[in-house]
Amino acid sequence: MATRGRSARAAVLASSVQRSKPTPYPSKVRSAFLRRMVLVVLVLGALTLLTISFRSPTAGALHDLQGAGSSALRPFQIAATRVAQPFRDAYDYLDSLANAKTENSKLRKEIAYFRSTQLLKSEKAREYDSLVRLMHYEQGATFPNGYSAVNARVISDSAGPFAQTLTIAAGSSSGIRENAPVVSGDGLIGRVSNVFSDTAVVSLLSDPNSPVPALDLHTGVRGVVHPGPGGALIFDDVKKQYKVDAADVLVTLGTIDPRYPDLYPSGIPIGKTSAPTVTDTASFLQVQVQPFGNLGSLDSVAVLVKTSKHK
Amino acid sequence: MSAFDGVKVAVLLFVAAIAQVSIFGQLHVFGAVPDILLVTLVAISLLRGSVAGAVGGFFAGLIVDTASLGTLGLTSLVLTLSGFWIGRYGETTGRDRAHAPYLSIAVVTVLYELGLLVVHFVLGESAPAGAVVRSLLPAVVLNLIVTGPVYGLVRRLLRAMERQELSAEVQLLG
Repeated sequence: MATRGRSARAAVLASSVQRSKPTPYPSKVRSAFLRRMVLVVLVLGALTLLTISFRSPTAGALHDLQGAGSSALRPFQIAATRVAQPFRDAYDYLDSLANAKTENSKLRKEIAYFRSTQLLKSEKAREYDSLVRLMHYEQGATFPNGYSAVNARVISDSAGPFAQTLTIAAGSSSGIRENAPVVSGDGLIGRVSNVFSDTAVVSLLSDPNSPVPALDLHTGVRGVVHPGPGGALIFDDVKKQYKVDAADVLVTLGTIDPRYPDLYPSGIPIGKTSAPTVTDTASFLQVQVQPFGNLGSLDSVAVLVKTSKHK
Repeated sequence: MSAFDGVKVAVLLFVAAIAQVSIFGQLHVFGAVPDILLVTLVAISLLRGSVAGAVGGFFAGLIVDTASLGTLGLTSLVLTLSGFWIGRYGETTGRDRAHAPYLSIAVVTVLYELGLLVVHFVLGESAPAGAVVRSLLPAVVLNLIVTGPVYGLVRRLLRAMERQELSAEVQLLG
């Protein structure tokens, strides 16, 4: 019985009730020797299996036994896989959702990269086509005698309402001189109006200061090609009594009298004529010209440089 | 440990080994996989002692090596030592401590991974130490996550037998 001032718990603790021994652990009842022997036997067993398996990994009784064991375990593995399949699918779904944002960002970067690569390739392809046409022209029969071509890349295009020029990446160091004719693979583009060491400025056909004497190949009529009041090219100075048809090809006239040499050699294609119009008040035919060369979109051009005195 | 207890331990380890090979072995998270077999073995070792841990580790490793067609004895060796060592810890100091399973898992996961690395290295097989070391922390975290439920399940399955043994001993002493 508990005395005053002492708790019941203390009284119980102080009593002489005989408590049972702590529960002996099952392993503890075995001797340390037995425990160690079990460990040694198992480790030796594992090492023996390891040695045999390592020395003959593809043949032998142990290999056959392992194969048989694997075959026996296969149904359990398949069953476990099938049981886990819905959970695995759910995990994959959640994982894909979690990674969707990162993946989206990564894919956007890839799209941007491939788009820029695609643009670069398209640009290269366009430049390639331009160069091929230029090469065909330079090697063709219409290329003027006594001239050689200096190919140059267009580095800036100033064609606009106030300037009809472009700048090319070749200059006097490449043999280019002022007033040298400039062509693309399709036809005449203009002439060199200013030359620097490694660059030059080309005045386009659409520049009012670059008139070109021209010849209608179909009718033999002569005239001058220059920009009209609206900016479009016209075949001018053709009297009304001469005949010019639609879609006639115009080429450069070239030098007629050696005393007055022309800037352009003869036979360079310029463009096609449209249907001429005649008015009572005008002295000449009004013929518009569609140039062969695309003056607004040029990647590369060739400057014709004299190699010898031509006719 | 009674025969029925042994059967339960064997079934637990068999299921854990098959699940490890078939399911959890393919669940890569941050370069590591949760080792359900190791966690189960540690739980059994803590609850049933070093001999049960060593024997269980040996045969569980044998199942893993057989099912995965790996080098026989490799996993057995490492799991035997792990089971025995954790069993001794349970018998001596960690038996009734709440943190014992978590501490055991944290330590044994590191030792198990390094042990496998060493054995592979000794056998002249591929032993990517850098990858193993990098995956140690995720492996420990993953194993700690599954420790709670797995230890609870193993304790529930093995506790009934423990109480039976306990009451029988009390009757014997009384």
